[in-house]
Amino acid sequence: MEEIVFGIGITALAGALATVAGAAEDTESDIGSQGDPNSQVQLAPQMGYIHRIFNKAVAGEPPAYGLWVALGAGLAWAFMAMQINPILAIVLGSALAVFVQGVYATTAYLGRTASLAKFGQPVYIDILKSMTTVTMAHAFVAIFTTVAMCHLMISALGHPFPLPLLGLVWGIALGAAGSATGNPFYGKERQYQEQKFGAGVPISASGNIVRYAEAGQRNSLDNGFFSAKLGGPASGICFGLIVFFELWRTVVFEELNIWGPIIVGVVVILIFAIIDRYIEVWARKNFGPYTTPEEASS
Amino acid sequence: MSALGGPKQTAGVQPPTAIGIVLSIILIVAALGLAYYLVQMAGVIAVVGIIIGGVLIAFGVHFVPVGGAPAAMGQSPGIATGVAMLAAGAGLAGLFGGAWAAPFGFAVALAGGAVGGGLLMAITCTMVNVIYIFGMGIPAASGKVDKDPITGDTFPEYKSQGTEGHGLPFISWVGGVVGGALGGLGGTLIYLELLDVYQAQLPVLLNTTVEQIAPVAISLAGVFAIAMFLINAVLAAYNITGTIEGPHDPKFKRFPRAIIAAAVASAVAGIFAIGLLELVGVF
Repeated sequence: MEEIVFGIGITALAGALATVAGAAEDTESDIGSQGDPNSQVQLAPQMGYIHRIFNKAVAGEPPAYGLWVALGAGLAWAFMAMQINPILAIVLGSALAVFVQGVYATTAYLGRTASLAKFGQPVYIDILKSMTTVTMAHAFVAIFTTVAMCHLMISALGHPFPLPLLGLVWGIALGAAGSATGNPFYGKERQYQEQKFGAGVPISASGNIVRYAEAGQRNSLDNGFFSAKLGGPASGICFGLIVFFELWRTVVFEELNIWGPIIVGVVVILIFAIIDRYIEVWARKNFGPYTTPEEASS
Repeated sequence: MSALGGPKQTAGVQPPTAIGIVLSIILIVAALGLAYYLVQMAGVIAVVGIIIGGVLIAFGVHFVPVGGAPAAMGQSPGIATGVAMLAAGAGLAGLFGGAWAAPFGFAVALAGGAVGGGLLMAITCTMVNVIYIFGMGIPAASGKVDKDPITGDTFPEYKSQGTEGHGLPFISWVGGVVGGALGGLGGTLIYLELLDVYQAQLPVLLNTTVEQIAPVAISLAGVFAIAMFLINAVLAAYNITGTIEGPHDPKFKRFPRAIIAAAVASAVAGIFAIGLLELVGVF
């Protein structure tokens, strides 16, 4: 019984760390404009819209976070093997991984933006100076929390994978959850803030992203401020729920029956199916159709 | 007529060519022969398991609703990220669960892997709809079919002007969960097969006990399982070319070609994974 209570505590802590990781990951990727909405940041100058948005999407979020978290976890693992205190080892490993992220962000911004020179898009050095460090800070939070979570899974819950491998697995899952949940909010709601609320962006508007803020030109820090209000926390909840349910069903129900975690997992999936269907129907009822069915079919 | 004004795109179904099938069979038979030569019958069983795992992953990727960049602007339905990456996220979460349950036996581990992958996709797909509906005020609408095959919801009137649809209709949600479950199942199967081979080979090679080499065997099997997962997910992503809405999308019919390619790729990569230790033994 004591073991289960301890496991639940670790599960809750890992879920909380994952929630912070998801929120930081999405905010970082939105400030760096790394997710799929980056296609519009790259497209805008080609359509004649010069902007001051950061642009570092040379890899998708899942492989990039797979690399950084695996790197942080690998270094932390090496430091722990040198008998360094685990917390210090995780901090050091994450800090070193963040430097790799910083180099990646710098070269990606310079490379991607320089490739737009023929469309008149300048490389802004002040953008590089002010934003790279902000993405690095957010990346540190995401990497540190994910590595700490992986360490808990191994040392407290006894997962068989070594720390670097677990870092790779959860780094990729973190990027997948963060990009899936956070990207539409940054892409549609922020980059196309001038378009109508409650409708998709018409394909004809592609590239015409919002480039001006309340005062002066909009930059990626403004975007981070915006997406931290909903896209980031929603990504955090998504990743937090994934980690929590993945651990909770095993920690609590494995003692009862070896098939327990599987049955509970299926039940949780069915509950999410009901939630999804409920909100889908709710939206159809409350938002209503855009056109009458006759118009739509003609 | 698409929103771009061009002609309606065909599903692009291209059946596998005869030479492709013959070449695939030769490569698979060669891989099985080599496996028998290297590790005898255990090697053949492992390669067969790896091939089945790879095929399950490639097939599963076709179920996952991925909208890529257009989905991030609410221009097309699906999840706003890449095909291979989303499937990898789900499959690896499944592998995490499957590897944890490995000591309880083959069946429990496989089921654990499948449920783990399905659970990640269930939560992610639900959160995608939460963001679309409560963050952006956009209802779900498919661009490829007029009616949801499961719920019977109609879509044309819920598509906003100038888009191909948006959000995740229920059929796409179900496709995502099925895809994640198949990916988790396939990834875990590959992991378990490789673990068996390494746990048999390593103690002989290093003259130690199974318990002593467990961390090395688990690490090697995990790394190769992730690698083979990515190989098969990327292969399937090439077959899909860009975006797919799920099992109701006409592009879904392209899966036979991906299955053949995944079987060959898994067989060839599987030989490298199995033969690795034999090679180390030689040196």
